[in-house]
Amino acid sequence: MICWNGLEPMVDFWQDYALPGAIIVAKIVAIIIPLLIAVAYLTYAERKVLAVMQLRRGPNVVGPFGLLQPLADGLKLFMKETIVPAGASRALFIMAPMLTFILAMLAWAVIPVDAGWVLSDINVGVLYLFAISSLGVYGIIIAGWASNSKYAFLGALRSAAQMVSYEVSIGLVIITVLLCVGSLNLSRIVEAQKTVWFVIPLLPMFVIYFISALAETNRSPFDLPEGESELVGGYFTEYSSMTFALFFLGEYANMILMSAMGAILFLGGWLPPFDIAPFNWVPGPIWFALKICFVLFGFLWVRATFPRFRYDQLMRLGWKVFLPFSLFYVVLVAGVLVAFDWLPTP
Amino acid sequence: MVDSLNSAFGKAELATIIPELFLAVAAMVLLLTGAFIGEKRAVRATTIGALFAFAVTAVFVVMMPYGDSGRVAFNSLVHVSAFTAFLKVLILLGSALALVLSIDFFEREKIARFEYPVLVVLATVGMLVMVSAYDLMTLYMGLEMQSLALYVIAAIHRDNAKSTEAGLKYFVLGALSSGMLLYGISLVYGFAGSTNFTMLAPQLTDNPEAGVVIGLVFVIAALAFKISAVPFHMWTPDVYEGAPTPVASFFAAAPKVAAMGLLVQVLTGPFGGMVGQWQQIIVFVSIASMVFGAVAAINQRNIKRLMAYSSIGHMGFALVGLAAANADGLTGVLVYLAIYVVMGLGTFACIIAMRVNGKAVEQIDDLAGLSRTQPLVALALGMFMFSMAGIPPLAGFFSKFYVFRAAVQADLYALAIIGVLASVVGAFYYLRVIKVMYFDQPAARFDGMTPGVALVAGSTCLVTMLFWIYPASIITVATRVSALVIGG
Amino acid sequence: MILQTLSFYLFASICVASGVMVISSRNPVHAVLYLILAFFNAAGLFVLMGAEFLAMLLVIVYVGAVAVLFLFVVMMLDINFTELRQGFLQYLPIGALVGFILLVELLLVLGSWAVSPDAGAALVATNATVGGTTNSHALGRLIYTHYAFLFQCAGLILLIAMIGAIVLTLRERVGVKRQNVGRQVARRREDSVVVVQVDSGKGI
Repeated sequence: MICWNGLEPMVDFWQDYALPGAIIVAKIVAIIIPLLIAVAYLTYAERKVLAVMQLRRGPNVVGPFGLLQPLADGLKLFMKETIVPAGASRALFIMAPMLTFILAMLAWAVIPVDAGWVLSDINVGVLYLFAISSLGVYGIIIAGWASNSKYAFLGALRSAAQMVSYEVSIGLVIITVLLCVGSLNLSRIVEAQKTVWFVIPLLPMFVIYFISALAETNRSPFDLPEGESELVGGYFTEYSSMTFALFFLGEYANMILMSAMGAILFLGGWLPPFDIAPFNWVPGPIWFALKICFVLFGFLWVRATFPRFRYDQLMRLGWKVFLPFSLFYVVLVAGVLVAFDWLPTP
Repeated sequence: MVDSLNSAFGKAELATIIPELFLAVAAMVLLLTGAFIGEKRAVRATTIGALFAFAVTAVFVVMMPYGDSGRVAFNSLVHVSAFTAFLKVLILLGSALALVLSIDFFEREKIARFEYPVLVVLATVGMLVMVSAYDLMTLYMGLEMQSLALYVIAAIHRDNAKSTEAGLKYFVLGALSSGMLLYGISLVYGFAGSTNFTMLAPQLTDNPEAGVVIGLVFVIAALAFKISAVPFHMWTPDVYEGAPTPVASFFAAAPKVAAMGLLVQVLTGPFGGMVGQWQQIIVFVSIASMVFGAVAAINQRNIKRLMAYSSIGHMGFALVGLAAANADGLTGVLVYLAIYVVMGLGTFACIIAMRVNGKAVEQIDDLAGLSRTQPLVALALGMFMFSMAGIPPLAGFFSKFYVFRAAVQADLYALAIIGVLASVVGAFYYLRVIKVMYFDQPAARFDGMTPGVALVAGSTCLVTMLFWIYPASIITVATRVSALVIGG
Repeated sequence: MILQTLSFYLFASICVASGVMVISSRNPVHAVLYLILAFFNAAGLFVLMGAEFLAMLLVIVYVGAVAVLFLFVVMMLDINFTELRQGFLQYLPIGALVGFILLVELLLVLGSWAVSPDAGAALVATNATVGGTTNSHALGRLIYTHYAFLFQCAGLILLIAMIGAIVLTLRERVGVKRQNVGRQVARRREDSVVVVQVDSGKGI
């Protein structure tokens, strides 16, 4: 009896904290590791896609078809020296790339890969994603400011204005989707697309979402924050080695994140295109991955195709085209839903 | 889902706020019109459109059937009655006249912007919401709506250091007062669990908790700021002086009516049971405003600053009626506000007419010998000054008479006596203006009045002079509507 | 429960500490960053209270937008804040006195705080979150029905703020070349290109 009294708390501790804790850690690892591999091979895919579009071969030396190239790049960056410029705000300078990278990882906590396959199925999943993606700007601003360099600072200012501007239209795009779903839960959003993917009724919003996602992730043709032809390297001019690598990884992880968000909001997440054999033999996560790849290919395609926007054109597009149009579309969608009594019942 | 939405916007509920609704929509239409027509041509169009909107709104306000107890809408957030209708008409009149005064002024100063009439209309919407408030949250919303627009139009002459200073000062102090208001409201809410006037009234009784009294004090302080009563008056002279004159004339009329109406409604409504607590505060504020307004104005050289101190004093006099806390006192407040709007705008019309060779002047000395150069303007300004001083038989006398009578009836003898003494002191500086106009050597001749200004000055002057012929016109209405508030 | 309690103390203490740092850090940029940290932890506290919607809004609106603009402005301002603070200590005694008096008054009020016996009956939104709905639904129901009027008023206030910002800052600059996309697109070849047969050696 005495020893029971002593042991019981231990058993409780084991059951209440240690075990769930270990499971959560395992789940996190299960998400992070594939994600990191995906990020590494996204860089490879980008180089290959660009190469093919420009009639080149792309990386083909390290390993078969150059498949080990990303690892070699990572190793190279890892071996280099981290240089902190004189007059830089040291702590912030180091913190900025970590922030970018961590935020890009953090968002994956709510992404449902399949029905029920999600780390945290929270009620306000979309808002969480939106919030995390809106925080991405801090990594860049802090990097620009902490570098104590003109180019970096200009890049940071550009990115702050750019990301805040395009967040507005992304927010309105999300609202149109939410109007059709009646829930902020990401799994519910995917399930609501069982009959028809939202990309069909909301096609203009998907286009706006995609373009805004380009701006939000600082991808070309909106890569002004780093615009190397005018700002040397933009906000990461002063970064080297692992700090640079973290920015790089963060940027690509963000691309994957925005693609995943696009897949969930518009392309039916893990759902197959038609709920018939042989489509529904393929497991959900595969469909999800395919859809992400589809959107990602769009990112790369755009990069290979379009020249960089001028800054005033970028702002004009965001505020004078997307904002009014998406506002109009929100009103239109709401009006249609009310007029035909299609409002989802929560 | 759809049913619940419809029930929130019942037709009867929307009908209750038709004046506010119409005016808000009108503001947006004017804004779009201005934006599409283009800056230069839009100013005249939007101004006339705004005047038209004021007129239509006033018709809506008057035509609405109120019944004896008024109409409540939107889950008791809004309450309109004949009493609010009286205030609303007064507000609309004040805004409209101030807008008439602005015609041509901005063009001549080369700061004409079509947003000005739009902002005036939006500020007026805020005032109407304030007056209809039946919940502390509605009160705050209306107050912010009005204030935000006022901050902007105080600084509308943005290349002028004084105007921007006025805007900034007004904004910072106004934000402070909003903070106090919210703090006070939160204390009251923390006690009563509601912000609704009907819910509050039975819970706020005589012999309240300390926290509620502090909440009351904060709410009164914030509203006293809006009517620029001492000790929350410090922004007034600087803002009146810095803001362009038509803006100052707008500040002097409609917002004062709205804030005073709100103060009356809050104190007699939810805080009606705490008369013992707020009466002494109001008495103090009233005395301080009357005395300060009278004494501080003596040394002023700038006529706009003089008007600022004068408005502080007038608000003190109006508060005398509120301090009496009876139906007669309320009648006094309403009459006072009505007459003050007319006198104040008339005076400002004369001030706007003070232009020498196309440049505005605003020193009292510039008025020297006006009786010989422009006898009619001198006569009008003289009448306004006499009226403000409270000389019978002009309108200003009646307004003071009613509030003091109410104070005496409520046994507030000290208040009445101090008030009379303050008005005697105040008469000194009003008469000094007249002395400058009639007995000093003529200074530079003023340019002619523009038609709009002449119209306002002439009509208000006539009302001020001839009020004694038929004073019952306003007084019976005021008596009837104020009985609704304090009797019920 | 232990976890919740621990999280509460973690969020609360970081929130307070970063609040202190906001007003005491020498560098304004650092101050804004601490402000962001404070917002973040406040959002964490909201989550602990079950107000997840508010928590996310706090992050999106304040951290994602407002603080970015703060940071933007603070970074671009070239103000020597240490110089501005020169006279700070001079006013410290009177500031501390006022603060102390306010604190004492607050304690007095809170010490004798009482709630009206009828307060419970007057509450509108006590049970809004209970009943199986998520708090975004509950909030939406309250805002769009019960408080619809106030919601619209708030919208109007924002409109006024927008007009005000434009009135006070927008300047029409003359002599600036602006891109007119409509005109560019509408431009046709015939309007801008003339094909001329030029005899060699003559010119046009």
